Amino acid sequence: MHRLLDVLASGVHDTKNQLFYAESQIAEAEAKHGLDLSEARYAIETAAARLSRTLTAYHLLRNDAQLAVAPVVVADLCDEVVLDQRKHLAHAGIELVLACGVRDEWPLDRDLITDVLNNAVQNAGRHARSRVRLSAWNEDDTLFFRVEDDGPGYADPEHGRSTGLIVAERVASLHERRGRYGSMHLGNGGDLGNSAGDELGGAVFELRLP
Amino acid sequence: MAIDYRNKRFLVIDDQPMARESLRAIAQTAGAFTVDFAPGYQDAIFKIRNNCPDIILCDYVLGEGRSGQQLLEELRRFNMLPDETIFMMVTGEQSYEQVVAAVELVPDDYIIKPFSPDKLMLRLERVAAKKDFFAEFYREKRKQEYEKALAILAARKDSDEGRAYRFESLRQEAEVHLAAGNAEKAEVAYRGILEKYEFPWARAGVAKSLHQQNRLSEAREEIEKVVAAAPNYFDASDVKANICMAQGEHEEAQKVLDAAAKKTPRNYLRKRLLAEAAELNGDTETARAAMADVVANDTMPGAVSTEDQLSLARTQVGANDLISAEKVLLLMREAEVMNMELAHQASYLALLAVASPEKGKKRFAGLRPALLASPLPSISRVDILRAALAVDDRELADGQARELMSGEDAKKVFGTVRKLYALQGRENDFREIQRQVALQRIHHDEAPTGS
Repeated sequence: MHRLLDVLASGVHDTKNQLFYAESQIAEAEAKHGLDLSEARYAIETAAARLSRTLTAYHLLRNDAQLAVAPVVVADLCDEVVLDQRKHLAHAGIELVLACGVRDEWPLDRDLITDVLNNAVQNAGRHARSRVRLSAWNEDDTLFFRVEDDGPGYADPEHGRSTGLIVAERVASLHERRGRYGSMHLGNGGDLGNSAGDELGGAVFELRLP
Repeated sequence: MAIDYRNKRFLVIDDQPMARESLRAIAQTAGAFTVDFAPGYQDAIFKIRNNCPDIILCDYVLGEGRSGQQLLEELRRFNMLPDETIFMMVTGEQSYEQVVAAVELVPDDYIIKPFSPDKLMLRLERVAAKKDFFAEFYREKRKQEYEKALAILAARKDSDEGRAYRFESLRQEAEVHLAAGNAEKAEVAYRGILEKYEFPWARAGVAKSLHQQNRLSEAREEIEKVVAAAPNYFDASDVKANICMAQGEHEEAQKVLDAAAKKTPRNYLRKRLLAEAAELNGDTETARAAMADVVANDTMPGAVSTEDQLSLARTQVGANDLISAEKVLLLMREAEVMNMELAHQASYLALLAVASPEKGKKRFAGLRPALLASPLPSISRVDILRAALAVDDRELADGQARELMSGEDAKKVFGTVRKLYALQGRENDFREIQRQVALQRIHHDEAPTGS
């Protein structure tokens, strides 16, 4: 079984190296000729993230996924999600708004949480009319991340979950601190209570981490 | 903080030409003017030694069984990275995060391929800001001005800027306490971190602090928790082995180091520790092989020290390979021997007296007055004891045994000392020495204090 996993991991690894070469060549061409090929680069990065997520999902479903928890500056993490997604959403006429009220570090798995939030923002972008908001705040011993859009909302938040949502739910629940566990919540409009700003009225994705 | 990349020298380290080309393109798109390359480990060390770059982008996989982590550890071990230099690990594997979470020496940051020039710049700027925040502190810490370093940290950690580095500040504070020998304060600091989160490195820090306080069974209990929870955290294996040795549990120490060394075959600091544990455990063959590996393959200039040469000779003497031991000892130049500190000179002459009596016996005898009168580390005392027993100098031997059995390393060296006496058929004499030491301790404990 581990042989199979090694084969998969090494294939993913090689592919990501190839994709990196492609991205670097595009970036260089952009700089040289004054072009904007950011959508091509976005497609490459999304493909690579998708590959990693598939591997992560495999581990999660086999229950052998392990977190690597380190102190992470929450604002920095949010900034990276915005850097990854804002330009692409702008191409589709959607504004990505950031409302991060956390200035401290938080112990979490940086790469997995970043991927979960990237995926949530991508999902929101597909259904939003004009706005997606990423917000972060903390109450007592819990860190909240919320992704909202102004689209029609989930038809049924409890059914038909994508790989991305399954990964999100498992990744959240693997975060443990002094007997408390993380969780993922889906809702529409004001279902989950107030966040940092006004309601956007559409789908709401929320991560709560201890 | 915006970095002006035009003035920065980049070094890209990667064994794959295509990957090097990708990193060059990204760095130059980010504004880098000078980008140099190193295709592998040795080449990277050569370039960094000669002209240290400002920013190092190093792939985690370097080929020939080398990793970027090993390179980083060697660079830090030999102080080849100035505080300002940024070392960024580049990796295609998501699982690299777990590597970083389980090592003591971490890069300034790591970045997962593929990434854009913008992402690289964002990361580099954050690292630069963090380095800037801790710059003064690091300067004092490096100079071993621990009080000053702590004062700087205390003044800055609660500032607005310091909020983003809360855990790092706490960790640095604990490390400085430990380095300064304030084990109680270090313990408090590490436990404070654990109240916030169960980081394996913080738990290992508690174990190290307890070990320094000679609270061995508590230290052992703590480090066992770390080893169980984070089996790939090899630095914890080293901590555990040191505690086990102090407890006299050499077999367990060797076992844990054997396992870790198999997975990190080029970590020569660990190999040295393995040799020590194996030697204490009486596994002379493993000890000898590990030290031979160190002396032959720890290739950085200055890496193999006088102590290492002595260790190698010691393991050979232990394995009764006297010819090899003599060879190793006689390869050390006379001038070098004359300039050694007393502890090393004592070990050298003691080992030579055992390996080659006709060359060493007389010189060893010449050092006798100094050996009887001077405070010496345990390792030298064991060497002297071995030689003194071999030349039947009972006064010298028994004196060393008494010192060893009443010292802090008594548990650690007990088995070795007993065996050396047994080899001469003098078990009863050793038992008598033990009895005397125990009596003396009781008298000492009963004596009124404060006199």
